[in-house]
Amino acid sequence: MSDVPIRFRAATEETPLARFLLIGGVLLGLAVLLFAPLIVVFFEALRDGALAAVASLANPEAASAIRLTLIVAAIAVPLNAVFGIAAAWFVTKFDFRGKAILITLIDLPFSVSPVVAGLCIVLTFGANSLIGGVLVGHGFPIVFALPGIVLASVFVTFPFVARELIPVMIEQGRAEEEAALTLGASGWRVFFTVTLPNIRWALLYGVLLCNARAMGEFGAVAVVSGKIRGQTATMPITIEMLYNEYLSVAAFSLAAVLALLALLTLTLKTGLEWRYADQLAANHRH
Amino acid sequence: MKQPLVHQSPIPGLGLSAGITLTMLSIIVLLPIGALLLQGAASGVDVMWAAINTKRTWGALLLSFRLSLIAALFNLVFGVAVAWVLVRYRFPGRKLLDAAVDLPFALPTAVAGIALTALYAPNGAFGAIAKDLGFKIAYTQWGILIALIFVGLPFVARTVQPVVEEIEREVEEASATLGASRAHTIRHIILPMLTPAALTGFALALARSVGEYGSVIFIAGNIPMKTEIAPLLIVIRLEEFDYPGAAAIGIAMLLISFMMLLAINAVQVFSRRRIGYV
Repeated sequence: MSDVPIRFRAATEETPLARFLLIGGVLLGLAVLLFAPLIVVFFEALRDGALAAVASLANPEAASAIRLTLIVAAIAVPLNAVFGIAAAWFVTKFDFRGKAILITLIDLPFSVSPVVAGLCIVLTFGANSLIGGVLVGHGFPIVFALPGIVLASVFVTFPFVARELIPVMIEQGRAEEEAALTLGASGWRVFFTVTLPNIRWALLYGVLLCNARAMGEFGAVAVVSGKIRGQTATMPITIEMLYNEYLSVAAFSLAAVLALLALLTLTLKTGLEWRYADQLAANHRH
Repeated sequence: MKQPLVHQSPIPGLGLSAGITLTMLSIIVLLPIGALLLQGAASGVDVMWAAINTKRTWGALLLSFRLSLIAALFNLVFGVAVAWVLVRYRFPGRKLLDAAVDLPFALPTAVAGIALTALYAPNGAFGAIAKDLGFKIAYTQWGILIALIFVGLPFVARTVQPVVEEIEREVEEASATLGASRAHTIRHIILPMLTPAALTGFALALARSVGEYGSVIFIAGNIPMKTEIAPLLIVIRLEEFDYPGAAAIGIAMLLISFMMLLAINAVQVFSRRRIGYV
């Protein structure tokens, strides 16, 4: 018992044992729950070698799925960005009754199951519905076609951009815009030269998350797409079809592409958080 | 004195921004949800109840909610631990870990679904270990639970993390100088401060898990009454063109998750009132 402790533990620290157990438990938990599934995607994709994986991506079905997913994202993400900017402008630059209800309604899609979202779109725009019947009659089907997939993608990503912009624009207030107006700038000029530079990183952040979700959406798209091979099968839907046909390498190769996209999204998102923390939504962690 | 609907403002763009916002909200969100409720009203309470009141539907609804609750409870504890470790301790790889916590948000659910299945199937890396120990994970309720834990993982960690960052060390020091043990301080000072945020994260994780489809269906096995989740039953009803049946389950899910969110909101208001805003 001659050992003299080299350093006393501060009263606001846990014992070394508790600390070790906490860090160890968290590391082990995250390794098993997060990293193992991620690694398995690439492991399974490369099971027959890199050539087989690349070849499976070049097959027409996979190629058409990649094309469709890019088209859907190219329509859904800008739509969402326009909505997000308009909604944030409306909510933060004006005072009106029912603002809280409006914000709740914008957030509503977060608490709706993607499958229920798809169901809602089928019931609204399906061939048996009032609106869908008329549109199909005029040769413009929505469900089991591209417009339905876009609608489903916009529904599930609806709050993404607005949610990022609203807190940032509340924090920035209206003084800068009002000053520009008194100096004679037009509304659009105020938006492009005053507001947009203030919100650009938050906008990019929202668009990034929106894009990741739009390209990866499965449940809502599965319901509205009809899963027609080469026509309405997006990447996630094609992954399901290939997997169910026991074409494991093909399924995991396509999954690996989406996993790489997810990693790229996380990297860019983290980069934005480190670099522009002060210009991102206040309710984030920095 | 009645308030005007919209206050005067010198800033232009009211008509345009309100127009875009309300039009898109109506077409994309309100109209479809209205159509679901209308389908329910059109088929009537009796038909709706008949569609829900079957053993299979009850089984699916109860399974979804029970497993989501367990997964959210696990994530409540694990998420607080993750937030604490990421904020309070310094170790190599911490920043990487911090970024990686959001992986379930970024990884498409279908990708997560087939990856978890490959891992936990009897011939997978973890599944083989389980098989040697004499039990099965994939294609059982354990598999569903793992998928739901995966999708709900970031919520509690992300809501609690900023609160841990803002705890003032003085509070903990005061508690220690007054003779409290570290365990006592954590139990009576720190955890109460984290409670409102943790409950918010819990509610978000719960709402997400209840409706989760993509990551679950591959690993679930999808056997009625055993491993068939409620969203899958909606898809099955739709494939049978049983729209009233699908709508009934959809409305039930909407209502129950809405009520759960309200309940948790009430708990949150209550704990805030007791503890005060942190």
